[in-house]
Amino acid sequence: MRTRDVLGYSFSAIKLRKLRAGLTTLGVVIGIAAIVALLSITQGLQDTITMQLETGLATDTLIVSPGAGAFGGGQDGGGFGGGALGGADSGFRLLINDTQTINGLSTDILTSTALIQRSGYINSTENERVTTIVGVDFSEYKNIYSTTFISESGEIPDTPDNNMIIIGKRVNERQNGTVLFTAGEDVQILWTNATARPPQNESYTAHVAAVLQEVGGFAFGGPSDNNIYIPITTAQEFFNTSECETIIVKLANSDQATIDAVSKLITNEFAGEVSTISSTAVLNLLGSVFSIIELFLVGIAAISLLVAGIGIMNIMIVSLIERTREIGILKALGMKSRTVLGIFLGESVIIGVIGAVIGIALGWVLANIVATVLSSGAISIGTGGGAGPGGDLLSITPVLTPMVFLGAFGFGVGVSVIFGLYPAWRASKLKPVEALRYE
Amino acid sequence: MALIVEAVDLKKTYMLGKIPVEALRGVNLKIESGDFLAILGPSGSGKSTMLNLIGALDKPTAGTLLIDGVDVSTLNDNQLSDLRRRVGFVFQFFNLIPRLTARDNVELSLSIADIGKAERKKRAEELLETVGLKDRIKHKPAELSGGQQQRVAIARALANNPRFLLLDEPTGNIDSKTAREIMRLVKRLNTEKGVTIIMVTHDQQLAKEAKRTVQMFDGVITSDVVN
Ligand SMILES: Nc1ncnc2c1ncn2[C@@H]1O[C@H](COP(=O)(O)OP(=O)(O)O)[C@@H](O)[C@H]1O
Ligand SMILES: [Mg+2]
Repeated sequence: MRTRDVLGYSFSAIKLRKLRAGLTTLGVVIGIAAIVALLSITQGLQDTITMQLETGLATDTLIVSPGAGAFGGGQDGGGFGGGALGGADSGFRLLINDTQTINGLSTDILTSTALIQRSGYINSTENERVTTIVGVDFSEYKNIYSTTFISESGEIPDTPDNNMIIIGKRVNERQNGTVLFTAGEDVQILWTNATARPPQNESYTAHVAAVLQEVGGFAFGGPSDNNIYIPITTAQEFFNTSECETIIVKLANSDQATIDAVSKLITNEFAGEVSTISSTAVLNLLGSVFSIIELFLVGIAAISLLVAGIGIMNIMIVSLIERTREIGILKALGMKSRTVLGIFLGESVIIGVIGAVIGIALGWVLANIVATVLSSGAISIGTGGGAGPGGDLLSITPVLTPMVFLGAFGFGVGVSVIFGLYPAWRASKLKPVEALRYE
Repeated sequence: MALIVEAVDLKKTYMLGKIPVEALRGVNLKIESGDFLAILGPSGSGKSTMLNLIGALDKPTAGTLLIDGVDVSTLNDNQLSDLRRRVGFVFQFFNLIPRLTARDNVELSLSIADIGKAERKKRAEELLETVGLKDRIKHKPAELSGGQQQRVAIARALANNPRFLLLDEPTGNIDSKTAREIMRLVKRLNTEKGVTIIMVTHDQQLAKEAKRTVQMFDGVITSDVVN
């Protein structure tokens, strides 16, 4: 019998029991819709976060900070945990001068620059903001983050005066758009030295040299909208320290081999007292976290699809019993066993295909509804950390990758085939005489 | 005349749980092309069993059954379905597919034989015309009388130009007037179209219409006479 005729016959049988077939299809629709909605939202979320991270990251940089393996080294891209969380502080501190040591380690290292970070305040006569004060070499930093450390107003000087500062966009502007400080203005920088007894409030008058363009995204060693930048020499003096929190290393290459080799060199140089993070490692880690989340979500959705599969099997067995006599007739007319199998399998596959198609469409609609609800501010996630002013709204654009599309379709059809196979096989094995005698 | 059915010491035993039921206990029968056979016998004498074996719906327990010279017990599942396509079967309870129209029921038989849509439609309509149902092609079985349903079943059985037509009490479920009409149709198929007919019936009157009458009793043939 021709495939078209087999499917046509299957279809005529389904049409006869519209409600029953419809309900079974609904089971598949729900399972597939759940998979598609969950995955396309997760994918959208991952893309959003990755994009935000990437804006703040430069892939050819390594970030060196004290503490053994605090956040997975560059060499293994591994997980959280390690020294910073377990055990006591070894007392190791990075020094600003360590950049010279690092620069000499490898020809793959183009340059490195130290960052001193303290939380403090920036005040004008009218406004006061809490912020993170970052001491950094302006020209080096500009060199490393050439796409993000850019002024919107004023100019970032290569050889700044001691009192010059650069303000991040968010520090400068409230969410409603009110501008707080302007380039050329004089402001007060305040910091509380908590190690002095009694703690001492320190301050100096600074000159706003520039306001940065909006960086967006998460700051990660790179420029942040929530920070202000002062020359490293000023920071050294003002905070009275020769230590730094972070050293940023610019590499000649952004490939994994270079990252791994340099990471190893640096870690060894400091006897394992430092850890290095590459932005690639962070992205990889994020990717693997999302893979786990996706796997988990798909697992849950797959259970609902499994239930749908059992539903298919159930109606097909009922159908098989109801139509025993019909199968006897078909066989008496000379239909081959495998054609009988094809007819019954065809019925469950038709249910699977219709269910998968509607399910993908419904899942996509659901994903967009959820994304719209999330983006409209029902839930908001701050970017850039606590020190900064208000949070950004999380805007997700659901993404339906061809993988998810085809996977969901294949999964839906696959389930219908697997669960339809047994009833179809039983139908095909019926003996014509016995089937015809069946009442 | 070509021999199309040859049964030699044919036996069929059903197992009813653990109890063997001997439906056929050694049947010898030869049927030639163009023959018109009526099989008579009381209920339970093995008439249907005999017909099912000839129609390749079932396999014999012992003995040999040659259809067109081929021993059916040597055929596999696929070959048996091929054979069934060359046999026209008409049942007492019509056995039409309820959801299909008269034409679709006839077409089903043709589509099983891999015949394309256009050809199928044409042939189905011709066949329904032959059995006198030209104006009922779009009716479903439930919308037809018993006699009309049986005509559809005959049209369906004839669809693939079978070697022979097997009818198992075709008039058992229709009134005697319609039964005679059906009988006339069957007889005409035999005389005009040369279709070989093997018909099981209860009705002595109807059996007289056949060329040959075979009497069965308790799983064996007790008489075989040419009318
Ligand atoms: N599938 C079966 N299983 C068990 N016994 C059967 C089966 N088919 C027929 N029989 C038995 O075989 C005998 C012959 O049946 P059948 O050929 O249908 O008789 P008839 O058609 O002459 O009335 C009966 O006793 C019947 O009960
Ligand atoms: Mg019978």
